[in-house]
Amino acid sequence: LTAGNKIFHFGPCRVSMSLTEIRSGFTAIKANVQARDPVRTLSILSHPHSLHKVKSSDRCCITHHLFNFYVDKVFKHCKTEDSYVNRKISSIANSFLSVKRKLEQCREQNKCICGQESKEKFEQILLNYEALNITSAAIKSLGELDILLDWV
Amino acid sequence: SGELYCSLPNPRNVHFESVNMKNVLHWSAPEGTGDGVLYKVKYSVYGVGKWIRKPECRNINRTWCDLSSETSDYEEQYYASVKAFLNGKCSDWIETTRFNPLTDTKIDPPMVSVSSTEKSISIILTAPETWKRSPEGESISLLQVYPGLQYNVSVLNKKTKKRWFFSISNNTLVVPQLEPDTVYCVSAQIHVITPLLHSGFSKEYCIATLKDKTA
Repeated sequence: LTAGNKIFHFGPCRVSMSLTEIRSGFTAIKANVQARDPVRTLSILSHPHSLHKVKSSDRCCITHHLFNFYVDKVFKHCKTEDSYVNRKISSIANSFLSVKRKLEQCREQNKCICGQESKEKFEQILLNYEALNITSAAIKSLGELDILLDWV
Repeated sequence: SGELYCSLPNPRNVHFESVNMKNVLHWSAPEGTGDGVLYKVKYSVYGVGKWIRKPECRNINRTWCDLSSETSDYEEQYYASVKAFLNGKCSDWIETTRFNPLTDTKIDPPMVSVSSTEKSISIILTAPETWKRSPEGESISLLQVYPGLQYNVSVLNKKTKKRWFFSISNNTLVVPQLEPDTVYCVSAQIHVITPLLHSGFSKEYCIATLKDKTA
């Protein structure tokens, strides 16, 4: 367990995450990234379904889906002209990648069950994402990282 | 009033100031406008986007507006916006950055109460309440908002100037094995790990341990 890591329990699945490190990285670029997202009428993560309404039995599956989502569909489309911001994004991406792998192990060991509700919730998130062009959707998703971190 | 021609300079530094979830919009008057400027305020929930006017902050001449009630759901995020009017002219709507009550609020220090015996002091800490609609309204402790809330406690022996630090999750602490008839001063701070937030330290509360009756 490295400094700043904390063990998160999702039912039988236990994952150590450096949330403090991720959050401080995001806080450093939050204003910059959110300022690049002019669309107020759409949220990727919080509307119409709020993450906070996810049942505890679905938490592991949704968390796994979301970490995959950020690694596969968000970070790689968030290149900016600002090298400082890019460095912070890649540091956050690396942290997400390591958590993604740990959650994958839980899935392989059947400790992270996906029910119908979590499937539907995640499909809504993808619908929100696909309502925008890839770059705008990626930047918006990145700007909503505090919503994910507040929820986890 | 009809908005004739928006050439008035814009309000400046439009931002939320939040303490214990009391979320107040603040701004500075447009440059060089002097007295007589009036303002309108509106706000929106991020992801919904519909702008909602704040009637109590319509045609006001002050440069703040309490939006605590409108932003009380701390699972949401918000934008607010201000427009200035003077002599039939108006400014643009000027927006805040995205406001997240959970991470963007400041936290007051805890309340500290102390009592003592001959060789120990007992400390009880109380986290501040969040903003509430009315004095009779339901009060929510910051502990409910931040389940991971902890307290950092400092205890100073006034005679020897020796200081101890404790980090505790529950709100009571007994410090044993102290010297009788000695003044100890206690100060405490709130520390939240996720999101990373901490209050300042409270002022010092001093108390003397009782005299040793056997001495």
